[in-house]
Amino acid sequence: MKQIFRTIAMIFVLCLAASPSFSQTGKTETYPPIDSDALEQFGGPEGVRNWVESLFYYIMLDNRINHVFREFGNIERQIYLNTQLLQLVLGGNEVEYQGASMAAAHADLGITLTQFNAVVEAAYNACERIQLTYEACNLMIAGLAPYKHAIVTR
Amino acid sequence: MEEAKRAKFPVSKGAALVVAMLASGLSQAGWYDSGKVLATGGVSMIDGAGGGGITPWATITGYGTKEGINGDLHYTYAPLANYTLHSLGAAVGFWDRFELSYTSSALTTGSTFDTVGLVADTLGGVTGSLAGTPINTGIEPFNTTIEMESIGAKVRVFGEAIYDSDNLIPQIAIGGFYKNNKNEDLLKTLKADKAKDWEAYISATKIFFPINTLINITARYTAANQTGLVGFGGPDGSDKEIRPEISLAYLLRKDTVIGIEWAQHGDNLEGESVEIAGLDLTGLQPTLEALGLGNVSGTLTQHESDWYDVFVAFFPNKNLSITMAYAMLGNITITPDQHGFYMSLQASF
Ligand code: HEM
Repeated sequence: MKQIFRTIAMIFVLCLAASPSFSQTGKTETYPPIDSDALEQFGGPEGVRNWVESLFYYIMLDNRINHVFREFGNIERQIYLNTQLLQLVLGGNEVEYQGASMAAAHADLGITLTQFNAVVEAAYNACERIQLTYEACNLMIAGLAPYKHAIVTR
Repeated sequence: MEEAKRAKFPVSKGAALVVAMLASGLSQAGWYDSGKVLATGGVSMIDGAGGGGITPWATITGYGTKEGINGDLHYTYAPLANYTLHSLGAAVGFWDRFELSYTSSALTTGSTFDTVGLVADTLGGVTGSLAGTPINTGIEPFNTTIEMESIGAKVRVFGEAIYDSDNLIPQIAIGGFYKNNKNEDLLKTLKADKAKDWEAYISATKIFFPINTLINITARYTAANQTGLVGFGGPDGSDKEIRPEISLAYLLRKDTVIGIEWAQHGDNLEGESVEIAGLDLTGLQPTLEALGLGNVSGTLTQHESDWYDVFVAFFPNKNLSITMAYAMLGNITITPDQHGFYMSLQASF
């Protein structure tokens, strides 16, 4: 009995410690805050999906970074998960992020700031591709930018 | 002979190997980098540092990230009402941490100082031995030019201007310039205390993506008159003071930024006249009146205004930026309303 109790307590503590690493809980808190209609500006979940697809189109065309994704990535899975993640980041609350934390997903990749910036450039290209306004695009940049600390490890 | 041949061979082979290793080492160490996002290297301000147009920012010039080195060449052209500024220089950013810059500026003054020159000639002609020596005002018969060299260094201290959208901590850099103005005679005529001096600054820069805005605030510790183009200090010496500068930029597109800037200027020479052969022109009033130049000293009073500009910077690619501005520099020495076009080109590598 004592044993079980201890195990439950330990699992609880572990979950607490691990919780930020597998649930991206919602809209990114930025200064100033991201517009409350950011997801609508992005064209809703469909618009986000379009953007993520074109993001990976541009990533895979960029010789500075495509090899990383070819070797270590799973494009289908990443498009699926990033679509969830960006909706959350922009303030959508009808979606759950089912992937790994940014730190866990990128820990072993040794990603440089130059590579991170290449993804940002692909992100801007993707915004243009789906006819998104530059202002709406910057809401996405504001929302994802803080992940730099978890993703860039070199 | 045989021995020499044998001895020579390994030496040259060794040298070749060292060169090859160095070359591959350099390229493998990746000392060159252009990994910043378009436009985030900023442009070159007139003193040569990375920044806006008239204010140094906390950003390090060029497109290098912490993984490498990147530099730029810059040229600025500002034809104002009475003066034309040309400034040409180079700057290098090291690992997005440290920046060195050199800029050489030439300010042609057209006919601005012709009246002062005329007065000096007239006084010199009449009084002959006004100060016992020939009068050297630094004013040429045609298009007097002020040349100034500016050497700058900047260190990024902490903070992240771009990606830390989840906090309000700006990127902070400290830096300084050493400026050497070459027209000492003219500066003496204009009563500046020094021709060479240093200035230091601290800058805070931050981008706010949700409102597409960049804000930079700088405090410059300086005694400069018109950034040093009119020397440093005045009749009361050249004690430095802290002067604020602000740049507000709106990110219009990923390759276009518009904005405004303001830089406070000093008053070291405010209300001062000009000085000829060690004598203040106001003191020479009786002589001038006798010569029929009675109202000259009134119009030869110096003023200095804060600088303002409105700019648009265009970044067609990472190798080139074009900044165009309307500069409102107000009073410069004895001439008011120095407003006009400003263009700055930056080539990055
Ligand atoms: C803000 C920028 C970024 C975001 C939001 C992001 C998001 C994601 C997400 C949601 C995943 C899926 C995690 C999972 O499978 O559970 C992922 C995986 C991955 N990301 Fe990123 N990422 C970013 C930047 C980068 C950069 C700069 C690179 C490399 C240049 C990169 C390379 C990868 C790779 C290779 C994977 C697959 C890892 C694996 O499956 O083991 N990511 N990223």
